[in-house]
Amino acid sequence: MVAKGDMVYAWTTSPDIAKVAECGGAVTGLLKFALENDIVDGVLAVKKGVDLYDAVPTLITDPAEIAQTAGSLHCGTLLLAKLIKKYLGGAEDMRLAVTVKGCDAMGIYELAKRNQVNLDNLLLIGVNCGGSVSPVSARKMIREKFGVDPNDVVKEEIDKGQFIIVTKDGQHKGISMDELEEAGFGRRANCRRCKMKVPRQADLACGNWGVIGDKAGKATFVEVCSGKGADLLSRAVKAGAVATEPANPKGIEIRGKVENAMLKLGDKWRARYFEGLGEGKERLQKIMEDSSRCTKCYACIDNCPICYCVECSTKKPYLVPPGVLPVPFMFHLIRYAHVADSCVNCGQCEENCPMEIANSLYMHALQTDMERMFGHTPGVDMDLPVLALVEEQAERERLFATGSDQIFNVFK
Amino acid sequence: MTETNGKLRYVPTTCPYCGVGCGLNLVVNDGKLVGVEPYKRSPINEGKLCPKGATCWEFVQSPDRLTKPLIKRNGKFEEASWDEALSLVASKFKEISDKYGPKALGFQVSCRTPNEECYIMQKLARVAFKTNNIDNCARICHGPSVAGLSLSFGSGAATNPFEDVLNADVVFMIGANSVEAHPLAGRRVLQAKKAGKTVIVCDPRYTPTARLADHYVRYNPSTNIALINSIMYWIIQQNLHDKEFIAKRTTGFDDLMKTVEKYAEVESITGVPTERVKEIARIYASAKNAVIIYCLGITELTTGTDNVRSLGNLAMLTGNVGRPGVGVNPLRGQNNVQGACDMGAYPNVFSGYQKCEDDAARKRMEELWGVTGLASEYGVTLTEQITQCGDPIKAMYIFALNPVVSYPDSNHVMRSLEKLDFLVVQDLFMTETAQYADVILPGASFAEKDGTFTSGERRVNRIRKAVQTPGDSKEDWQIFVDLAHKLGLAGFDFNSPEDIWDDMRRVTPSMAGISYDRLEKPEAVHWPCPTLEHPGTPILHREKFSSADGLGHFFGLEHRPPAEVADAEYPFTLMTGRLIFHYHTRTQTGRAKILHHEVPEAYVQINNEDAARLKIQNGEKIRLRGRRGQAEALARVTDEVAPGVLMMTMHFGGKGSVNQLTNTALDPLSKMPELKHSAVAVEKITGVQ
Repeated sequence: MVAKGDMVYAWTTSPDIAKVAECGGAVTGLLKFALENDIVDGVLAVKKGVDLYDAVPTLITDPAEIAQTAGSLHCGTLLLAKLIKKYLGGAEDMRLAVTVKGCDAMGIYELAKRNQVNLDNLLLIGVNCGGSVSPVSARKMIREKFGVDPNDVVKEEIDKGQFIIVTKDGQHKGISMDELEEAGFGRRANCRRCKMKVPRQADLACGNWGVIGDKAGKATFVEVCSGKGADLLSRAVKAGAVATEPANPKGIEIRGKVENAMLKLGDKWRARYFEGLGEGKERLQKIMEDSSRCTKCYACIDNCPICYCVECSTKKPYLVPPGVLPVPFMFHLIRYAHVADSCVNCGQCEENCPMEIANSLYMHALQTDMERMFGHTPGVDMDLPVLALVEEQAERERLFATGSDQIFNVFK
Repeated sequence: MTETNGKLRYVPTTCPYCGVGCGLNLVVNDGKLVGVEPYKRSPINEGKLCPKGATCWEFVQSPDRLTKPLIKRNGKFEEASWDEALSLVASKFKEISDKYGPKALGFQVSCRTPNEECYIMQKLARVAFKTNNIDNCARICHGPSVAGLSLSFGSGAATNPFEDVLNADVVFMIGANSVEAHPLAGRRVLQAKKAGKTVIVCDPRYTPTARLADHYVRYNPSTNIALINSIMYWIIQQNLHDKEFIAKRTTGFDDLMKTVEKYAEVESITGVPTERVKEIARIYASAKNAVIIYCLGITELTTGTDNVRSLGNLAMLTGNVGRPGVGVNPLRGQNNVQGACDMGAYPNVFSGYQKCEDDAARKRMEELWGVTGLASEYGVTLTEQITQCGDPIKAMYIFALNPVVSYPDSNHVMRSLEKLDFLVVQDLFMTETAQYADVILPGASFAEKDGTFTSGERRVNRIRKAVQTPGDSKEDWQIFVDLAHKLGLAGFDFNSPEDIWDDMRRVTPSMAGISYDRLEKPEAVHWPCPTLEHPGTPILHREKFSSADGLGHFFGLEHRPPAEVADAEYPFTLMTGRLIFHYHTRTQTGRAKILHHEVPEAYVQINNEDAARLKIQNGEKIRLRGRRGQAEALARVTDEVAPGVLMMTMHFGGKGSVNQLTNTALDPLSKMPELKHSAVAVEKITGVQ
């Protein structure tokens, strides 16, 4: 009944979920359904920690706890993709449903290409994302630009180009994202450059753009992107967990317009950020100076969905002398050489850098250049990247075994 | 709190390493620690971590954790039950106390352990044995800050929070290598710089922090007073001092002025040309808001307390105290060195710096604790306790410290510990010091217990239990409770760290308003905070100083050379230094794979000219020889130190232990040993290329 390509308005039939839902509660409803009916072993989603600025990833195995993950946290700057590899065995031995923003979806695909996650075991529920705001920055922004104590905010959202807060005494206040971002607040830098607003490489792409008419605010727009997604939605509808109706054509048009507006905004920010880097030697000088502050915390590598090597080249003493500050530029050169063609601009490398190096900006700049030159777009399908891709251990052994074939013994 | 099933459980907690107090998430899968993830919600570090914080989970589950109490019999350690071990500890301490009195005992409290444990240990020592021979390792770190700032401002702690640096126009750093020693505080300086603020770094070494400076001032090691006095002289000369602030809020300016008049030209002492001093003076004093950040380069000297007071002088001279964007901020070293001091693990004060010698304070403590006869006299400080081993100190309790590696003059420490009749060491691993123990008690890491750490900005941060302790090891607060019960003490019926914290609040007015509830969000609370309604105090000395007269005190201070200066026999000046990759004696960081990879062995920075002259190559292992011993380290030939000056890593034991060379000479006011300045000779090790 439901087919790939369908666009519907969907909503939960559970009053409990509807109560805590952001719009239609369809995502929460579908996740609960998938867990209850053994379609998946667990749900990897995000819940609220100490307050609405604190996004905590959580693996839920008890359907009763799914409601905790309802709603949206615009201060959730997590990348769930790498967590699957690091802590959940790459979903090799468990079937997971995962809520994915654009960057999560792209990260998962890149990890899948490198055999670090098992895509067959993942059910990806995509969510539209216009960008996220780092939590501490958000609190500062609310205090300084909105003149409100961030502890008094009970709801936040980004809608129609505004950051909107609702306080505990019912006040609504909205300020345009443009104004906030010109003042140095607002979305993370990589989010401003992002053009993956509707993650169609997921199984379903859900959000509130394009929900108009009497269902406005009460339904979730769902675009069915795969057979797996169609299957899930069909079963859920059949079982009465979720109800749907065809999406209003005007709504579809509006959704398209919103998406295009966001893509245009992404282009604008890219031009601005990348032009600011200069070209050639000037750009290289900037990158070398900025990255020379590095203190080898390895956060960029640990959080990057492209990085996965056990024997990372940055840890080879003949490439990067250990224990030396300033860190030799080779450390970052290795990162650029190995990652640039596949960078999905998730921003983790920059958000987590203690020395404020614009890692994501540089890597993304390189990636967009490479995409222009070689036509490879990372994170959207299973096409292999431009650079050689190897099974790390097997390739190390093969090269080592060649003995005299090598110019020098790099695999000590 | 510690379910053993379930994957991807995030436990927000506080890093166990330095005094910035970064928030981080420990990740637990099925009851085991599997990693660290950013805690972006923390206003302190916004999810960012240094190499140590990022790997702080690795040592916790190291297979060589101590898991059973050990008793030394016939020179060998044998496993024992808790009952056996604690009964032995209780009986031996009682025996020695009964026979020789309170002066025969020594208690050394860690600055790495939660407030609750520091508090209960000092309470136990005071209540059970009526001794004040209690001290913590702030003594060899920021003791002079506590002493110095108390004398200058009335309160011995940092005046402004780390992030407040962003409100300054000029950041004046001296004796501080924040980028390596307090990385996420160093980040604030970096942010200030990116926002166009001016950064001045004064350091004998060109450190990673110095690289951030707009103005780097190299000066001769340990000539701080001369330099600061000269800066102050030129501020007054250029009429840039804050006359209104001086008149309204300070006392002693005339003494200061008279003294600094002698310091117009200090190039012969400090190596800094007068024009440069004038310029730095002008930049600092012309700023609307200027903050001073300093660290162990200032304190670990026989003039430590005076060095700190010099900085107090400088800040008051220019009115840079008591509002946002200014202040005097010592970067407290360990995760809980501030807390250990706050909790009264000190020979002369109870918690909240209530003086033992003050009859009213002592009587009140006796009432609240339900005891009599608490000691009033000043007890013996940390390194003096070592010197007193054997006579009069016969029994010692060392909690989570490694004196054999970290205190000055290692050979002296080792000889001294051997003279004790009875030594108890409570720790996580078999450290170099634990080898000397009669009883070893296996404790818990930061990941295995609840509690609080107080960071260098006086913020009280929560740690939360993520996993169970291994084997039979126990949470340390529980060990102290059990020991107290073995000693038959009343007032130790605690069932949780929170109970202990609440007992502390009961007796400590300045912390009484800080409940665990208020620590749930990472903003937490800065002390002083006397009531539950009080918002806490991020910035000190706003209207009045904390001193008795409410005024800031100037002091006229004279330059004094260090106790042991370079001479013909020992021609090099040796400084010690910290690396970003390791923490203290590497009990923990040595067990993190990447950190060990970065720096596995001691090294010493030596100037290119000196190396060329002595024919020493980069990476060559060389010997440093001093009056008290010798050490070996890999040479790092560099221009980051001046000719005649060496910097050796502080972190290593054995042959690479720099404390085989360091001096025990003390700062008379704070009893701080002169770890940062000694004299050595450098030689090639024959046969080793």
